[in-house]
Amino acid sequence: MIERHHLLLHDFPPETSKELQLFSIIAQSFFQPFSLIDNLLVILTALTAGPGLGFNRAMLFLADGNKLKGEFWLGPASAAEADSIWRILSTPGIGYYEIIEHNRSLLTSDADSLTKRLKKISYPLHQENSLIPSVATSSKEIMLVKDAWNEPLVDRRFQEVIGVDEFLCIPLLAQEEVLGEIILDNAITRLPIQSRDIELASICGLFAGNYIYTAKLQKRIVEMKKVAAIGEMAMFVTHQLRNPLVTIGGFADQLLDPRTGAKKLKRNLQIIRSEIRRLEKILLRLTQFLRIEVKEMVPVDVQEMFKLVVNAVKPRAASRKVSITTEVEPGLSIILCDPIHVGEALRNVVDNALDALPGGGKIHLRAYRKNKEWTVISVQDTGKGIPESIKGKIFEAFVSTKEKSMGLGLAYVKRVMDACGGRIEVESAEDKGTIFKLCFKTGERGSKK
Amino acid sequence: MKKKLLVVEDEKNLCVLYKEELTKEGYKVMVATGADTALGLIKKQKFDLIITDIRMPIKNGIELITQIMALRKDIPIIINTAYQSYKHDFMTWAADAYVVKSASLDELKSKIKELLG
Repeated sequence: MIERHHLLLHDFPPETSKELQLFSIIAQSFFQPFSLIDNLLVILTALTAGPGLGFNRAMLFLADGNKLKGEFWLGPASAAEADSIWRILSTPGIGYYEIIEHNRSLLTSDADSLTKRLKKISYPLHQENSLIPSVATSSKEIMLVKDAWNEPLVDRRFQEVIGVDEFLCIPLLAQEEVLGEIILDNAITRLPIQSRDIELASICGLFAGNYIYTAKLQKRIVEMKKVAAIGEMAMFVTHQLRNPLVTIGGFADQLLDPRTGAKKLKRNLQIIRSEIRRLEKILLRLTQFLRIEVKEMVPVDVQEMFKLVVNAVKPRAASRKVSITTEVEPGLSIILCDPIHVGEALRNVVDNALDALPGGGKIHLRAYRKNKEWTVISVQDTGKGIPESIKGKIFEAFVSTKEKSMGLGLAYVKRVMDACGGRIEVESAEDKGTIFKLCFKTGERGSKK
Repeated sequence: MKKKLLVVEDEKNLCVLYKEELTKEGYKVMVATGADTALGLIKKQKFDLIITDIRMPIKNGIELITQIMALRKDIPIIINTAYQSYKHDFMTWAADAYVVKSASLDELKSKIKELLG
């Protein structure tokens, strides 16, 4: 027998321990497409939510270059505020998610006086004789500070801001990298910080450190990919433009030669004009690709779209001895999409299929319902298939097996499908053929996605 | 006697331009718009120098160079392409010169002169 359970828990039975609930909420937040600050907010909220783990307030410092900067500070500013917040939060039916929402709205509001005060504080990192709080981060140690007003190692300015006698400093680390610090206190209840609190807080610190580390890596990867893509694009465009430019330059030089006769003059001007048109075409293709915007999804008659595409490629198909057939599932006639872009995308896929059939063959266009959720338009050819070497990157821009192609066709198709909330799939076997599937969400009319 | 050059270039307009401009320089110029046509010509005739593009349909310039080297080791070859990046491909090192296509043919002309002595 197999029992199945949800990966993500939403409701906890009352007997679930606070610790388990806390860690579960934190772990689950990593699955959400939250921002870095949002996820840290979840961790700090869990540590300070009244009925939670016993801390009243939490402040977050993040390492930024060589500085440790105050980021935000969660918790009630006074006993009265604490009382009212905790009363709301203990209302039955209010869970962590509501508390997180509440804290998020606090952070963005102007009334949040704690964060405002904290944001003014920053400390240099890795400096000799540094004081608390930054010394916990640079020494990579958890520090519980008691009798803080009389402790010479506590920075006075910080002590004025935090204003409590006892607090806990948790450095945030991952892979030996210093990422920040969390500082926790019980300013309202004045309860002493217990060793159990320290253990739990330190685990939360590990979570937070690893999360910041991952988020930083991800950001770096996205940036690197962007730079690489821009570089690749710039290189490709440069080359695409170079041939026409060389031709124009060369023939223009000849025009400047007084010995050039009238006949040659005219010919050169014609060549120059045609090369300029080619340049224009290249730029047009590029701007089209860069500016795909799906404004509205409308019902489109698939039969009609098939007819348009087949008519458009007929002369090419005939010259290559390729027969094109279409098939629409009975009862299915309408799909929701952007007719212009999707029509163009389908045309691109069919053009590719034709390119794969230099010696003739068959192309079959089919529209069918895959399941309740997805409607599919497939394009199948009996061509040479996609070479294994580029299979993984056919949807990237500027990748092509054709020497004269800009490699924008399938990248365009993918962008259109993304913009329509759909997706594109491909199956290909060398020398057997390729099938492209444009999958559309069976959705509501008029919606953007 | 006039030196004989072969230009391998798939852009027809560029073929016309190269033929005219290099003829003006005093060479006998033949053009081929593809690598296979070029190989056919090289098998039948003796050229003093070959100028070839790299990105061409069907067979690219690098394959062409390899095949030319197998046929006639001593013909000087100039690679003339829109791409800087092929310089990193060690297969292009077999050529005697690498000239990136430019609106001015001066560099190409001076390389030809240099190689033909």
